[in-house]
Amino acid sequence: MADTHAHAHGHNDHADHGHHPTGWRRWMYSTNHKDIGTLYLVLAIVASFVGVGFSMMMRLELAEPGLQFIRDQHFYNVLLTAHGLIMVFFVVMPALIGGFGNWFIPLMIGCPDMAFPRMNNISFWLTAVGLILVATSTVIGGGAGTGWTVYPPLSNHTFHPGMSVDFAILSLHVAGAASILGAINFITTIVNMRAPGMTFHRMPLFIWSMLVTAFLLLLALPVLAGALTMLLTDRNFGTAFFEPSGGGDPIFWQHLFWFFGHPEVYIMIIPAFGIVSQVVSTFSKKPVFGYLGMAYAMVSIGFVGFVVWAHHMFTVGFNVETRAYFIIATMIIAVPTGIKIFSWLATMWGGSIEFKTPMLYAMGFIFLFVVGGVTGVTLSNAPVDMAFHDTYFVIAHFHYVLSIAAMYAIFTGMYYWLPKMSGRMYNEKLGQWQFWITFVGVNVLFFPQHFLGMAGMPRRIADYPDAFAGWNMVSSGGAVISLVGALLFFYILWDTLRNGAKAPANPWGVGANTLEWTVDSPAPFHTHEVLPVITAEPAGSHH
Amino acid sequence: MNQTGRTKQNQRGIRLTAGAMVVVVSAMGGLVVASEPLYKLFCQVTGYGGTPRIAEGQISSGVVAETMTVRFDSNVNRDLAWKFRPAATQVNVQIGEEALAFYEAKNVSGETLVGTATFNVMPERAAPYFNKIQCFCFTEQVLKPGETVQMPVTFFIDPDILKDQYARNIKTVTLSYTFFLNQDQSKAQTTHQANYSN
Repeated sequence: MADTHAHAHGHNDHADHGHHPTGWRRWMYSTNHKDIGTLYLVLAIVASFVGVGFSMMMRLELAEPGLQFIRDQHFYNVLLTAHGLIMVFFVVMPALIGGFGNWFIPLMIGCPDMAFPRMNNISFWLTAVGLILVATSTVIGGGAGTGWTVYPPLSNHTFHPGMSVDFAILSLHVAGAASILGAINFITTIVNMRAPGMTFHRMPLFIWSMLVTAFLLLLALPVLAGALTMLLTDRNFGTAFFEPSGGGDPIFWQHLFWFFGHPEVYIMIIPAFGIVSQVVSTFSKKPVFGYLGMAYAMVSIGFVGFVVWAHHMFTVGFNVETRAYFIIATMIIAVPTGIKIFSWLATMWGGSIEFKTPMLYAMGFIFLFVVGGVTGVTLSNAPVDMAFHDTYFVIAHFHYVLSIAAMYAIFTGMYYWLPKMSGRMYNEKLGQWQFWITFVGVNVLFFPQHFLGMAGMPRRIADYPDAFAGWNMVSSGGAVISLVGALLFFYILWDTLRNGAKAPANPWGVGANTLEWTVDSPAPFHTHEVLPVITAEPAGSHH
Repeated sequence: MNQTGRTKQNQRGIRLTAGAMVVVVSAMGGLVVASEPLYKLFCQVTGYGGTPRIAEGQISSGVVAETMTVRFDSNVNRDLAWKFRPAATQVNVQIGEEALAFYEAKNVSGETLVGTATFNVMPERAAPYFNKIQCFCFTEQVLKPGETVQMPVTFFIDPDILKDQYARNIKTVTLSYTFFLNQDQSKAQTTHQANYSN
């Protein structure tokens, strides 16, 4: 009798161990970091259909001078606003931070799950609500045509009397709250739940990147929330924070927005640094060159990122000392960034490099990020910026660093970790094709925009003089090629999940020595229940 | 160690870290709340955005020989049916001298309107040295239908401007006003009622 009981008990334990909710409950109520990571990736993919779709509509209109498809300039403004907000808050951030962060922070630091699994669930669903709200803002009250920067007076009640801007504000509030909760979760997990022996200086660089990103979110998003609240009360309750008639100042909005906005662009790119560091090290079969320099370069980029905001608003009429300060502070960021670029090159130097798709994407990232970085240093000069302000040169610059480089990091991570997440291998040949198509596409798409900007073509306008016709047609052609690349990626994703060969625990060989490659592929529902003990330095820091 | 891999010590660390992060978020929130008055203060102290000094009840530290041209500019927001112009478009003043200028405003609508003026000084470099002792822009203005008022501005230019290497070569300063319809029109009501009782 006693025997039977013991047996039954043991059996129950075993069942509990493997038990998890199924069907819609598994996803709706999920507290599992891998499932939540998957949800974030799915959300990013869904949002990218809309965000990329809108950009294709804009490129279609811009292919030729004159107004062919989009006759209403306000509708064009709505498209570019939604494109910006969706790509920033609902594609890049959910993919890099929510998706890869949730999936791989616990796996790479060797803990079973995040510190606050239920809060993790709330973060995701708030983000999903945010996406719905921003989508609503495009259709209600004529649509929000303010640009992602939401500058007053354009965003105030006089020029956007409908509810559209209120919905956009609400969306950012909700998504911001989600990100703050997520950041608290990430920091708490990384600080307290690393496997025994994994000191801060033994953490993989991806974990460093997530830690820095989480701190940026924590410091920047409350400022956005406060500024948005002021705008909301200006619009609806008669306050005058940004309203000159009541003694307010629209420039004050720009200061608040960019105090958030500049760290925000690092929030989008620092996770990319982390992913690329892992991949370059893995496929060069070498630890990352200058591990500590790499880690503290990210910390210092994050730190300096908070004191350069006014370089986005050089044209508002600062005096010369203010401009000089912001020019110098901005240029200083090139130093830690240069440390990263050269350390990646040094990591590859002399390595036994395998040119698998993730590595191609990581190398593509480095190249494209340098292109965007160089134009960034160009624009950091206030006198140059005054000429290039609000032209396509700026569009080309930030699309090289954010659209292309951040997207490349997402592709890098997807190809690199897909075997771990899905348990199946992608088709290597198709992956490489997808890389080259995308590489050609995005460069044909964005490089000519430098020329257009230098020739003076202003951004955010659906029409342009005939003189700009040539390069615009080339650029739109590049958009079509990029779209082919994107669609091929979705095919590869589908093909992998359906037909992919079974992936081993570590498909990448000796270079892949971080903890996520020690668990099965696909990573089981529960991992690291027996904590791994780190005795040697982990990936990227072997001496 | 239980199933989630947490020890007691770990649990304490998690609470501490999360608590500290909540404090950080609250601190940043507090900073935003404080940012509005801080920004105003910053503009007043540094003359940022052409914000002149308000020197109510103060007097100039002395008059010097150099003169400066002060131009007067006037604008009215389209929502406010007033005419608004300076009595003289420019005046030559000695630096440090207390000067008086007039603007004239007329309500051309059929109703009593409350207006508020915003103001700035160009070039911005001169703003911190432009001291306004008395100004109609310090208070709301109520104009009855058809009423015309003369509005005085008393100001002086601080002789310290000659010690500022970036501002000492400025020979012309423009003082600009823009009248807006006040969002709070309750004073128009009371004036209106007072009219009737008369």
